[in-house]
Amino acid sequence: MSRTPRSRRTVATVVVLVLVSLTVITVDQTGRTHDLTAGVRSVANDVFSPLRQAVDDVVRPLGDFFAGAVHYGALQRENENLRATVGRLDQQLAQRSFDVQQLRQLTTLEHLPFVGSLPTVPAQVTALDMSNFDADVAIDKGRDDGVTVGMPVVGSGGLVGVVVEASHTQATVQLVTDGQSRVGVTFGGRQASYATVAGEGPGQPLAALFVAPGTPLHRGEVMATNGLAGASFPPGIPVGRVASFSTPSGADQMTVRVDPAADLAHLTYVDVVQWQPTP
Amino acid sequence: MTPGAVVRLLAVVAGLLLLDQTVGLDLRVAGAHPELMWLLPVGAALAGGIRVGAVVGFLAGMAVDLVLPTPMGLSALVGCLLGAGVGRVVAGADHDAWWVAPVAGAAGTAAAVMLYAVLGAVLGQEQMLRVDLGAVVAVVAVVNALAARPVCRIMAWALGPAAASGRRRRARARRLVRP
Repeated sequence: MSRTPRSRRTVATVVVLVLVSLTVITVDQTGRTHDLTAGVRSVANDVFSPLRQAVDDVVRPLGDFFAGAVHYGALQRENENLRATVGRLDQQLAQRSFDVQQLRQLTTLEHLPFVGSLPTVPAQVTALDMSNFDADVAIDKGRDDGVTVGMPVVGSGGLVGVVVEASHTQATVQLVTDGQSRVGVTFGGRQASYATVAGEGPGQPLAALFVAPGTPLHRGEVMATNGLAGASFPPGIPVGRVASFSTPSGADQMTVRVDPAADLAHLTYVDVVQWQPTP
Repeated sequence: MTPGAVVRLLAVVAGLLLLDQTVGLDLRVAGAHPELMWLLPVGAALAGGIRVGAVVGFLAGMAVDLVLPTPMGLSALVGCLLGAGVGRVVAGADHDAWWVAPVAGAAGTAAAVMLYAVLGAVLGQEQMLRVDLGAVVAVVAVVNALAARPVCRIMAWALGPAAASGRRRRARARRLVRP
């Protein structure tokens, strides 16, 4: 059966678009055009970020309203629990406003012991988990403020993630829970052991890989960045605490679950550490 | 496509992307949020056919790839296939029936989300298959089924003459098919 010219044009258009997409994917994956794609993304984000911020300021109350409607049952239960809690704490606690809480977060960021003398750039989180498939946040500081790709990001508690994209005015941070995140860690005091902490997806605990069976471990043990030569992070930043561990029979490594040290569910302010890995 | 249609189309793409990245991020159910951008190729395919659906899907996907840290080109590929696929499947259907847009919106976007996750995993983003894919697909499909009719109307307005000529072509094809 012969195709009409219109039908042939349609097939040709679809084939060309698919080929263009595959070409873009391929050259991006091979890293040959990384500078080009990063530049294009940077320009796009420079245009998009202020618009997103402006729209966010206007429609956030609307979003909160719908979110409240969607989670009505859970909110009602939470409300009852909160009322009970407020009743108990009312006589003990002075009024704690949101501003005080934010101030505390900022004050804590100023005195992070694990950052040491490294210079930092304080930043505000403007968007959380922008894709259903990644664990990432957007922050309101970019290259104009000295934030570049590869810099570690910390919060009160420990490592938050690493800058993976930076435009002039904003940056994207890949959280330690992202499935692509890998952090070299050390633990165990004097007899230091090494492992790699891997993200398992948004909201999931981390997994410590390459822990040999019989390695001394205890729940709550802190795993911190190891800072080995060529590492992506400076040494001594807490990454997480051991939540559970076991050795399946016949396995050549332990199964270790780790809770992130930083409170990733309530990120408001973070510090970008102006540190770059040595090549 | 006329210059006016191109401007309107770009405005709709930017507007829906902004909506997705602001209000959409707050509408989380079981950790998943809606992805309204997938509705653009569906609406374009319903209004203008396979070719228009594929082009709009490519453009909408590229816009997503530019502002999110996703593999560059992946959303464009899935958007293009979604637009072409929906255009092909509904080619002989009566697009004025009330159920076509919601069903195409739900089924098309659910398929797109799954294809996106699988292709992402093939490209080395294994975490895309480790997320609660069922929740993501369910949230996206339900929200997009509800939003399909208004988005399809907006797409028909944005495409203007291209949508009208697509409608005329399909009406002619239906008349030819009828006994």
